[in-house]
Amino acid sequence: MGKYVLKRLGYLVIVAVILSFILFMIYSLVPANRAYKDAQDQIKAMKNSIPEGQEQQYFDEIYLRYQRMYGTDSKNPVVRYLRWVGVYPLYDGSFDGLLQGNFGYSYDYKKPVVELVQQPMINTIKINIWATILGLGITIPLGIHCAVKRGSKGDQAVQVFTIIGYSLPTFLIAILFIWLFCAKLHIFPPSGMSTPGSHFTGFRAFLDEMYYMALPLIVSTFCSLGGMTRYVRASMIEALNMDCIRTARAKGLREQVVIYSHAFRNALIPIVTLVVGWFLGIFSGSLMVENIFGWNGMGRVMIAALRTADYDVVMLMQMFYIMISLLGTLLIDIIYGIVDPRVRVNK
Amino acid sequence: MSKKNTAPVKRTGFFGRLFHSASAQFADEMDAARAADVEAIVSPGRQVLNNFLDRKLAVGALIVLIGMFIVMFVGPLFMPKYKDNYTDVTQQNMAPGMSLMKVPDELKNDIKTIDGYGTFTVGLSNAGKVFVWGSTQIGTTGVDIGDIPEEVQNTKIAMIAAGYDHVVAIGEDGKIYAWGAWQLGQYDTEEEYIAKGKPTDPNIAFFPQELRDNGVDVANVKKLICGYQVSAILMNDGTLYLWGNKRTYANMDLFLRAPAMDDIAFTLNYVVGLAGKHNAIYSGSRDLFTMVKQELNGKAVPTADYLGDRTIEAITATNKNVALVLSDGSLCFSGDFNLDCTPVPKLQADEDIIQIVGGAYHYSALTNKGNIYSWGQNELDQTEVAKDYAGTAKLFRGSCQTYAVSEDDKLVTSWGLKGYPFGTDVRGANVFQRIIQGGRMTMTVGAVAVIISSIIGIIIGCLSGYFGGKVDILLMRIAEIFSAIPFLPFAMILSAVMGHMDISENARIFIIMCILGVLTWPGLSRLVRGQVLLARESEYVTAAKAMGVKESTIAFKHILPNVMSVILVTLMLDFGTCMLTESSLSYLGFGVQYPRPTWGNMLNGANNATIINAYWWQWAFTSLFLAVTTVCINIVGDALRDVMDPRSSAEK
Repeated sequence: MGKYVLKRLGYLVIVAVILSFILFMIYSLVPANRAYKDAQDQIKAMKNSIPEGQEQQYFDEIYLRYQRMYGTDSKNPVVRYLRWVGVYPLYDGSFDGLLQGNFGYSYDYKKPVVELVQQPMINTIKINIWATILGLGITIPLGIHCAVKRGSKGDQAVQVFTIIGYSLPTFLIAILFIWLFCAKLHIFPPSGMSTPGSHFTGFRAFLDEMYYMALPLIVSTFCSLGGMTRYVRASMIEALNMDCIRTARAKGLREQVVIYSHAFRNALIPIVTLVVGWFLGIFSGSLMVENIFGWNGMGRVMIAALRTADYDVVMLMQMFYIMISLLGTLLIDIIYGIVDPRVRVNK
Repeated sequence: MSKKNTAPVKRTGFFGRLFHSASAQFADEMDAARAADVEAIVSPGRQVLNNFLDRKLAVGALIVLIGMFIVMFVGPLFMPKYKDNYTDVTQQNMAPGMSLMKVPDELKNDIKTIDGYGTFTVGLSNAGKVFVWGSTQIGTTGVDIGDIPEEVQNTKIAMIAAGYDHVVAIGEDGKIYAWGAWQLGQYDTEEEYIAKGKPTDPNIAFFPQELRDNGVDVANVKKLICGYQVSAILMNDGTLYLWGNKRTYANMDLFLRAPAMDDIAFTLNYVVGLAGKHNAIYSGSRDLFTMVKQELNGKAVPTADYLGDRTIEAITATNKNVALVLSDGSLCFSGDFNLDCTPVPKLQADEDIIQIVGGAYHYSALTNKGNIYSWGQNELDQTEVAKDYAGTAKLFRGSCQTYAVSEDDKLVTSWGLKGYPFGTDVRGANVFQRIIQGGRMTMTVGAVAVIISSIIGIIIGCLSGYFGGKVDILLMRIAEIFSAIPFLPFAMILSAVMGHMDISENARIFIIMCILGVLTWPGLSRLVRGQVLLARESEYVTAAKAMGVKESTIAFKHILPNVMSVILVTLMLDFGTCMLTESSLSYLGFGVQYPRPTWGNMLNGANNATIINAYWWQWAFTSLFLAVTTVCINIVGDALRDVMDPRSSAEK
């Protein structure tokens, strides 16, 4: 097992390196030149102290200095990539890259990216924990119920609803729900994170937050219902057709025990993969929901950064997403082995 | 089926066995079984089709889907006038409906006047009763022009004119009434405006207090006319009362101080008038409307040179230009014209124009021979003159309509814009047309993306599954790398990077298709690989190998057709997914961008509760089309998967 995990981790690192390289190359296609901009700013600031006619010379000097500082003085993109990672020295011989903890600098907010994403990360986790709890709490019982009562009127209705649920894009459901709950029923606020101008504390603040979180929460839960319910139902049906279930029934066990103790344990194995994937989504957040409801989370930061071409932020977020998804695959494989004793992962 | 056929032949009773030898009975049963078998055997394709047809829901969904395809790909052929970047300020945010030209029955035989400037039209009967039709809800303000004030309903009205969002009427007693939007000073005196809780505004020319106090002498009113958010009353003695929003009319101040006027008209941005010697258009400025031309797209010459010793008799304005009727009965024009206008008609030798009216973008004219001509912009059918206009004595303007009325005040006919079945969007474009055009774009993007992804996926899956070993490991690792890329963020970053590059919109759209295709192939390739692995072990492949068939031939000619059914189902479902992804990307502004419509970017205006509530038609119809299409794709795909997969159909 240990050896397997190590092997997978090594593979993960290789994939991460390849992807980050691809990403860096795409990123370097953008004609954004931070050193040039900084040099221009500085020239403007010291305009009066420069002798007449020597602006160009001064500018070149400062520009070169900034390029060396940011490690963009090399034309070779591979060198720039290695510097960005932090394994190739800058002009002055020092290392300053991801490995040294330099995750980039946001140009719009004038602060390091890590600092920038802290609060959004907390917000995203907050909303997604609730979404996950709600989602699992609804889909698993519903899926089991549908599997047990397969072919009944209720099951057919759920089948139709879930197919509609997973066919509709998130933004469409969001628009529909805003129309229904905000415009027509006036139950929830359409966007924002707290009542403007309020300074609630304690329980009151929590309630206010929940009030604003409600609609995005409902939308993101609703969107995940369709696919997940169908998945649970399918794996439960498969489990119910197993021989062991027939045996259990033949032994005269109560139906409740058969379903929840025997069948569900077997159905759980494929479900686990989905649940893990879902938990990882907690950190990445939903681009769509956060953007529509003005929820200041990771997805919103990413879109804002893309719109304003704040590419350091985009790069880090993208790497973060990639790492999450790679770690997720690894985690799923490992947990699969733990949950299902028949799967021997260490071969 | 088989049970029914065998039942009468089967003899299993005691007597049967007694009188028939065992072998005879066995032979009978064999025959029966064979007959049953022959009946039961249908080709696998036929079986799948039968099973599919048994599912009513899926068949319905398939029909709807095919209908959608036909509408989206054939529909655009019927809209030759459609333009991607069409905008029109006077047609913004109009509710769906086809009633823009529906003159109320009560008014039809008793028309005194009709006037329209924006989305609605007002009419006045000879009895002094006011009628309003068209799209009367004004924006998100909650103002409804159709709510005619009670005092207006109870008074005999003498004159009426409609602006973009307000109506002005003069009663027989000279009192002036107005209703509609008031926030930009459309009809309030300064006192009334402040009383409504707004601070006074230097950009508003308020309604003259003397008119409110004394009213006007109806018999002496030469013209009552409204513009975008302004109104004017011109008296016979040349006195001009002018009020409204100065922001849209740059030269309005000059008119407020102007000497006596003989005529006045409003374009969308300027006031134009006729004064003094009638040898030029009075606009209060040296550079406005100084050139005239004979044809809409002809050469412009200075007005004085063109006129010679002729004078200007009357002026009529549309949103962008002015038509001048000269003393010799000929016409000339001043201002801008679009390139694809319907040209000015050639009149016969002794034919004179006796009346000319100007809508938002078109002119209609009546000649002394009883002929009617329309020219100008024709995007909304404004210049398609109805054939049955015989007996017309007067013409009235709507913004995009012309109403022809006979000598005894009966409506003869009308032509122009009937309405918008799905309303208009925030830029004034027809939502229905954009849905059809956008559907074509959305479906094309989805289809091309799926084709790209399936080509990559099938080739890699076949190679990987068939050859196995090192090739398999390498290819599957590559697939894993691709599937590790988070889809939406990555597509967004690529699209954003492209946005900073200098490429044409078509190239951008094609690259978006490629991005979608390249990011979706791993799932399909894994599926194909699994199927190929199964097929590789089957006997027909062993046989082919034994016969010495080339390996690539076996992979693509023997195995691929056998896994085709599974691939087709996945393609169907992937098509839906790609459409959804494209919509999401475009909705966020990273996919296909504005002038080109897609179902995704048509929805990105619907991002706040006010708009979602007030302009429901701008998202509801588009959403409906998108939803119906993707739901149908998924239903059909699911049904296909069920009927093609013997295991799941056995479960049923």
